[in-house]
Amino acid sequence: MERDTLRRLEMLNQLSLTDAQKEDVIAFFAARDAELKTLEAIDTSDTERMVHVMPIMTVVRDDVIIKTFSREALQQGAPETDEGYWCVPRVVE
Amino acid sequence: MRYETVIGLEVHVELATKSKIFCSCSAHSFGAEPNDHVCPACCGMPGMLPVVNRRVVDYGMKAGLMLNCHINRTTTFDKKSYYYPDLPAAYQTTQWFAPVAVNGLVEIETSKGKKNVRIKQIHMEEDAGKLVHDIREDTTHVDFNRTSVPLIEIVSQPDLSSAEEVEAYLERLKMLLRYAKVAECEMAHGTMRCDVNLSVRPEGSDKLGVRTEMKNMNSVEAIKRAIEYETARHIDALENGTEVLVQETRRWDDIKGKSFAMRTKETAGDYRYFPDPNVMPVVIDDEWFESISATLPEFPEVKKARYTEELGLGEYDADQLTKSIALCECFETAYEACGSAKDAANWMISEVMSILNARKMTYDMLDINGRALGELIVLVSSGKVGRANGKKILAAMFDDNTILPEKYAEANGFIVSNDTGLIEKTVKAAIEADPKAVSDYKSGKEKAIMSIFGKCMKELRGNCDPQVLRKILIDTINNM
Amino acid sequence: MKIYTSKVDTDSARVVVADDMFLTKDMPTAAGSKMLDGYMSLFDAEVLTRLSDKGYVLGGKADVGEFAFDLIGETSYNGAVISDGKLTTASAEILKAGEAMATLNMDVNGSTRRAAAQNGLVSIKPTYGTVSRYGTVPVACSGETVSVTSTTADSCREILDAIAGHDDKDGTSLPTASCEKVKSAPAIRRVAILTSMTKGADADVLAKLDSVKAALTANGVEVCEIDNEVIPTARVAWNILMSAELCNNVSRYDGVKYGYRAQSFSNIDELYTNSRTEAFGELLKSTILFGSETLSTDNYMKVYDKALRIRRVIVEAFAKIFESFDAILMPACSALAYTEADIKENKYLVFEENFYTAPASITGLPAVVFGGAQMVGRSFSEMALLDLAKTCEKEGK
Repeated sequence: MERDTLRRLEMLNQLSLTDAQKEDVIAFFAARDAELKTLEAIDTSDTERMVHVMPIMTVVRDDVIIKTFSREALQQGAPETDEGYWCVPRVVE
Repeated sequence: MRYETVIGLEVHVELATKSKIFCSCSAHSFGAEPNDHVCPACCGMPGMLPVVNRRVVDYGMKAGLMLNCHINRTTTFDKKSYYYPDLPAAYQTTQWFAPVAVNGLVEIETSKGKKNVRIKQIHMEEDAGKLVHDIREDTTHVDFNRTSVPLIEIVSQPDLSSAEEVEAYLERLKMLLRYAKVAECEMAHGTMRCDVNLSVRPEGSDKLGVRTEMKNMNSVEAIKRAIEYETARHIDALENGTEVLVQETRRWDDIKGKSFAMRTKETAGDYRYFPDPNVMPVVIDDEWFESISATLPEFPEVKKARYTEELGLGEYDADQLTKSIALCECFETAYEACGSAKDAANWMISEVMSILNARKMTYDMLDINGRALGELIVLVSSGKVGRANGKKILAAMFDDNTILPEKYAEANGFIVSNDTGLIEKTVKAAIEADPKAVSDYKSGKEKAIMSIFGKCMKELRGNCDPQVLRKILIDTINNM
Repeated sequence: MKIYTSKVDTDSARVVVADDMFLTKDMPTAAGSKMLDGYMSLFDAEVLTRLSDKGYVLGGKADVGEFAFDLIGETSYNGAVISDGKLTTASAEILKAGEAMATLNMDVNGSTRRAAAQNGLVSIKPTYGTVSRYGTVPVACSGETVSVTSTTADSCREILDAIAGHDDKDGTSLPTASCEKVKSAPAIRRVAILTSMTKGADADVLAKLDSVKAALTANGVEVCEIDNEVIPTARVAWNILMSAELCNNVSRYDGVKYGYRAQSFSNIDELYTNSRTEAFGELLKSTILFGSETLSTDNYMKVYDKALRIRRVIVEAFAKIFESFDAILMPACSALAYTEADIKENKYLVFEENFYTAPASITGLPAVVFGGAQMVGRSFSEMALLDLAKTCEKEGK
């Protein structure tokens, strides 16, 4: 894996690794990459992908409003709130 | 060289369901207290699982059928990942691989004539929350009321070539979706939003130019100005080399009348879509499909043709009535109740629509009982209630759509009186009070009695057949 | 090291302890992560509601590895659980100490099956979709299931019976008619040993496999050795699917709505990055990055989509085997003990050890661990698997 790819992945996933961790992750990726060959050896051109292991379909619900919890309850563990809002540093638009 | 503009639109429309797409919170955030329509699921807490709202699929399907799309009878949901404070789970559940509707066609009409715009797809997805930037200077406030409110995104092919066509296309979408009653489509309310993809190429070329995207446009006027500005900017760049065009997202500043390149992250657009393991495929069986296709409204053109050909309305009247499904429905019910299409159309256009205009209401906001309107029309045309009082009753029906016109007329003394004794007494008093008008009339000025007629009508509070009053008035004067 | 993250005093004999992956409104749920330290859910997991409705008492919450996908619980922010020099899980320690009749676990990536195999416990991972996941901390939703572990097959059966069944709140929950199929699954008479699935297992593990085989044979179950080439690739495909789903599921933990928020940040990206970097452990971070990469535009078809297709190949391979056999016997781990040294040497050992557990995870097939070995059966055969485990238990005694 390129260093650039790793940096991009860190940004994309909002993580920042130490240099030692980066070494680890590069080795980890290399191992995963190597084992990918065992999959490539299997021909799946005629096989459909399988997202769900059980062949069931969605059971839809009725369009009914149910109020569950109060805002106060939902925000009780919030790091920062103000006037009923969750707060983050200003996002410049 | 001559250039042509190539435009494709991505239109987001909020569906008019009661509850959200994957949880049972209210989907009506307008005017609500911040974060009052929120549950653990739609504020990104772990443990709740998405359960699809049936009406969202109903409406997605309806929208697809209105836009002549093919409906995917097995439609699936996917996850799209990115970090932004308005997206509490850091992913949006949307449709990437098998959207509900594909390959549609919308006919638009402009000054250049009719044209078809191809629809690539319509997909169902959840909306993001709202960010508020003006409470504190250093802080953005986050409101998840709108999170998970159902949307459809209508993606057109790049078939549009001018601001005029874009406007016609948006108006057409609005009309069709409102006819199907799946959405409000009010840009000013944010229930319709638009991303504009635009490029310019030499006329006749089959190669697309560099494309720029303007996101979240929220007024037709702004979109038109933005298209004109962008077109000119692109042509300037191509002709005069004023700048090098790059594929990018731009922000339209409607006050400055300019578009600006947006600072985007290096990782922007890397959404890592994958099928949502927690939402099983939605399978639309024949029964479901038919229950939806059976309830589709007539297209506006079909209604118009029926109004003129079958009901005998004039072109103008039919045009006015078909401007909104609410007008059509009110008209049709009133017609059914009163039996006269002409009277019903007349009342709709001269009375109902003028009240809507006076009250600054859109046609879609019409919420009076059509059957009651029909009854009111009968009351007036049979002479039981005077026209002026009829209008008063109609105004009252706008304030309270449970009003029964006849009962209301009785309760308010609006029933035309047959009491000739009372009319004669009123006429006598009026004549005595205005001897000059009487002598003028007798000397041949026929119009002179109009003022007496008016005073009598006022005195009788309109509850009098004008023909009867006129006869008694003339007889009384002649007998003097 | 921590065994209980919350403990309830009770005299009841019907005590069940849940891994700290099950949300509870009266006790915090951290899922082994500093990110969720002290997190209070507003609602209880469906399975806990069902247990309490039936008179079982929740005796507390057992610590788990961070989001429960590691080797054997070693990545908890409270540190690994070590007993007699062996790495083990909090749940296994609670059961061995006789403090609960059973534990509820999230079988995300096999740690609960490995712990059962190494501690002589019985663990049942039921058919995907038969037990509600409502109120569990989501990690790898396409394959993870609630599982039950105990010292006896009977207790596993009793608790599984109490929690299984359709739940409207979980869109992947099977309809009642399907869930009921477990009650009529035929007894297991023919068992296959997949030779390639015994690869890498040490002598102790193979000895356990042999004694289970002997017990089966003694009870009239036919045991044959066969082989299959694709089932061993389940691990690689599962590593991809699990990591991608995990990456997506833990993206919600960002320091904004609840949970850990970094002290220092000057903009939104720093808030996100510092919070996640400070609160997440190393295995989790690596797995997030790997999972993210499998979904990138360049890799999606080659890697993620490929893994989804391999999943079908594997499901079909099992189906083929189940035409002739009722279940498949295989190890649950390569060794009967892991030490701290093993983890030090290879932080990512779990991505290899799940060789044995991935086939049942990726297919959603039921699996039972008993006598230090694992048996994978057809869909809805969990009760039949437990019956067999019980028979073999008697044999062992």
